[in-house]
Amino acid sequence: MRDPYEILGVARTASADDLQKAYRRLAKKLHPDLNPGNAEAEEKFKEIAGAYDLVGDAEKRKRFDRGEIDAAGAERPRQDYYRDYASSEQNHPYADNSGFTDFMDSEDGLAELLRRGARAQANRRGHDLAYRLPIEFIESIAGANKRLTLPDGATLDVAIPPGITESQVLRLRGKGAPGSGKGGFGDALIEVEIRPDDSFTRQGADIYLELPVTLTEAVLGARIKVPTPTGAVTMAVPKGSNTGTMLRLKGKGAPNHVGGHGDQFVKLKVMLPKELNPELETFVSGWESGRTYNPRGELVP
Amino acid sequence: MKFSKSEFLSLSGMGHNTLNAWIEEEWIIPGGSSVEMTFSEIDIARAQLIRDLHADFGVNDEGVGVILHLVDQLYGMRRTLMEMRHAVRFTSE
Repeated sequence: MRDPYEILGVARTASADDLQKAYRRLAKKLHPDLNPGNAEAEEKFKEIAGAYDLVGDAEKRKRFDRGEIDAAGAERPRQDYYRDYASSEQNHPYADNSGFTDFMDSEDGLAELLRRGARAQANRRGHDLAYRLPIEFIESIAGANKRLTLPDGATLDVAIPPGITESQVLRLRGKGAPGSGKGGFGDALIEVEIRPDDSFTRQGADIYLELPVTLTEAVLGARIKVPTPTGAVTMAVPKGSNTGTMLRLKGKGAPNHVGGHGDQFVKLKVMLPKELNPELETFVSGWESGRTYNPRGELVP
Repeated sequence: MKFSKSEFLSLSGMGHNTLNAWIEEEWIIPGGSSVEMTFSEIDIARAQLIRDLHADFGVNDEGVGVILHLVDQLYGMRRTLMEMRHAVRFTSE
């Protein structure tokens, strides 16, 4: 930020009274709500308000003059200005057309335009209202019916279509804010937020799952139950499978854009028993090819 | 977005008595019923404007009422001007 005295256009020796006068003179010209047509007013107003917050306060001014604090970060935080709402299209209790009703009573082209403008304003569609809806990963693939509780306590039933993706927006027609006159309701826009799953991940229409299998299942092969977002299915683990072996469950992924489904890929992870098994230990110690096989290959020459 | 009276007070940083006085003056017009008032973002922004006028600009009560009346008319004209712009575009297309 620039020097606050410079911003307010006063000398460093100015009295508190002069500072206030200077601030008020500028602020009246630049307050965004009093100058709705001036797009730059907001930035400038923030600057002078920040400057005045600093040197308009006797204590802060002393510290600033002594160099103990600087002008950085002195801009006054502000959420919204009245002008952001007052000239928006939404109907509000402060709307007042009395400043030009006399113009609307005549018979010329301007009057017709004004009347049309006022009519359009009277029958305006309600605003769209935006909401965020967190859902589980499984629900994003399989679809779900969710109920959203709105800030005013009302509820909204939302049908999540199968295969929805992060940040996709669902539009519920007529579930937004009420309009004025015959304008009707706006829409509810629901942005879906998918919670990540501990097991499943998704890439396009395909789903990936890492599945632990026992040494026995991997070596001898087995038929095992595998979870999918739409329920468990039975899958054949071929004989001689290994950690990293990728198996495909056709059509068990998310809906794709050509009307079919992606696949679920299952990556196997061979797990030894949690506690060392004496039989296994005896077998492995007498197992010659267990010693000669080097899975690290070129990794460790 | 709708707020209750207590939410409005904490969001705007206003005191109870001040708000009641402003409602009495019709500077702030809450929705809902007199028992259970509701407020929206425009009311918060308007309260901030009134506070700027009052505290920062040194405008007295009478002055605030006059300014709000003129400001409301100004915004009413701006809204209608915007609608006219739509109407003109529609006609010339």
